Amino acid sequence: MWQKRQDSERLETPPLSKQTQLIIIASMKRKRGAYAPYLYFLPALILALLFSYYPFVKTLLNSLSLVSFTGKLSHFVGLENFRALFKDPNFRKSLLNTFRFALLFIPLDLALSLVCALLIYKKRPLNGLNETLIMLPMAVAMSSAALVFKALFNPTIGVVNYLFKVSIDWFNSPTWALLTIVFLGVWMAVSLDFLLLLGALRSIPRDLTEAADLEGTSKWSRFFRLQLPLISPTIMFIITTRLRDSMLLSGPVLVMTEGGPYRSTQTLVYQMYIEGFTGANYSKGSTISVVVFLLTFILILLAFRIEKRRVFYQ
Amino acid sequence: MKKEEALKATFATILGLILVFPIYYSLAASFFQVHQFFAYPPQLLPTSLSLVNYARALKESPLARFMFNSLYVSVVGSAIRMSVAILAAFATAYFTFKGRDFLFFLILGTMMLPSDALIIENYLMVRRLGLLDTYLGIMAVYLLAPVQMFMLRQAFKSIPYTFKEVAMMDGCSDFAFLTKIVLPITRPIVLTLSLHSFVTIWNTYLWPLLVTNNPQMRTVQVGITMLGYTENLDYGPIFAAISLVLIPSLILFLLLRRYIVEGIASGSIVG
Repeated sequence: MWQKRQDSERLETPPLSKQTQLIIIASMKRKRGAYAPYLYFLPALILALLFSYYPFVKTLLNSLSLVSFTGKLSHFVGLENFRALFKDPNFRKSLLNTFRFALLFIPLDLALSLVCALLIYKKRPLNGLNETLIMLPMAVAMSSAALVFKALFNPTIGVVNYLFKVSIDWFNSPTWALLTIVFLGVWMAVSLDFLLLLGALRSIPRDLTEAADLEGTSKWSRFFRLQLPLISPTIMFIITTRLRDSMLLSGPVLVMTEGGPYRSTQTLVYQMYIEGFTGANYSKGSTISVVVFLLTFILILLAFRIEKRRVFYQ
Repeated sequence: MKKEEALKATFATILGLILVFPIYYSLAASFFQVHQFFAYPPQLLPTSLSLVNYARALKESPLARFMFNSLYVSVVGSAIRMSVAILAAFATAYFTFKGRDFLFFLILGTMMLPSDALIIENYLMVRRLGLLDTYLGIMAVYLLAPVQMFMLRQAFKSIPYTFKEVAMMDGCSDFAFLTKIVLPITRPIVLTLSLHSFVTIWNTYLWPLLVTNNPQMRTVQVGITMLGYTENLDYGPIFAAISLVLIPSLILFLLLRRYIVEGIASGSIVG
């Protein structure tokens, strides 16, 4: 009966005007287009699942289980891996070294890039050249930079010892080896951070600085009361990204020191790499990587909290 | 006041020269002869401009092949990376559909999962897919760039929606709207992000090191650390290899200096 009524209705419909035809075509087009946005999203979605979420979940599972050397989960062990990991003196060393690196690297990088930016933020003829000079390290890739630094710090052929009139056996001393990595880190980071700070300093409205000058404020109070608060969001951004970079540090270690001497430059991701690939100990490697995730996450949250409380936004 | 400015500029130049020194040194040392590395005091100027080290580096190692690999992976990789980001950004900026915001944040959320901490499982995944020692395997983890998707979405959203309505009325398809209207308007940011993608992929080290065992498939960043001269302190060919990699990027960098600075200032290039 239902069918019949539809049929009769269809019979009764008058022929469509040109305009309604157009509207129908348009709505059909829209209908056909309804799945189009999903289609546009698909590649990103597949990649996100394949190379981010799936490995993340799998890493979490690995850290809570025993894993065979082919990468298969064998059985669930709860937090046992974490307990064993924190008992491992090697891991503690990696953790300590990673923090030590961050504590040396971030202040040095920030100080140097801030000094550079403050010296040349005013546009003057020579400062264009200075800007280019300070930017150049950005063009060098990590592995080239690490090789060059390895040669520069080499006690036999290196120029650093000669130029600074010291005789330090950089790569054989647990005290100094980490410093070479810090220097390399600063050298690779300073250009970008300098440019970020330069942009921030230059975007401070002119009338603010001029007003400060008119009132006869000293340079120091102008910097601490006017410029520093205004560029503090940029500084926070730099600290946050560099903290994340520090937690993930591995490349320079691989190229320059291979964790040595006496594991004094072994970092978290470096140890994860060694455990995972040289030792095929996937559960230990994954446990370290979960620690790295947590650290990065906590540090970034912490930075945001400080930012909310202390940083001045315009 | 004038004197102070001059002092500041001089100090900045000194700092700049110190920062440039490692670059200068590797270019200079690429012309050194073996005995010059061992001279005391250490030499800072090449005595001749002989290209022996360059010839050795190119002859004794597959350096040219490394460079080709890097170039291929960086060009194709950033093309795919940009396409993926552009399509996703286009979908979120111009369409309303169920689950749009969820999907958007799902993609953006991958930002919180740094790929360096996922290498173990990603390696196993790439191995399972049979992509070890392939170009696709080297690119795989760089094909999704959540930050760039976000930047592009912001840029796309700055185009008035009426543009789309007008285009649709003229019978323009969605895809044609993207390629003929949206992308040309947002070309500066698309170019900046492409450049950034290129540099990112060109510079990576840890991942290509992992997924390539065959020396013929190594990227240049991995390859130059495995030339194996360092044991005998035979640094000449190494510095030549470093310089061969360095010179094109320095030239490119100086040529594109303005875009890079603008990109950083506008926030489209981050770490």
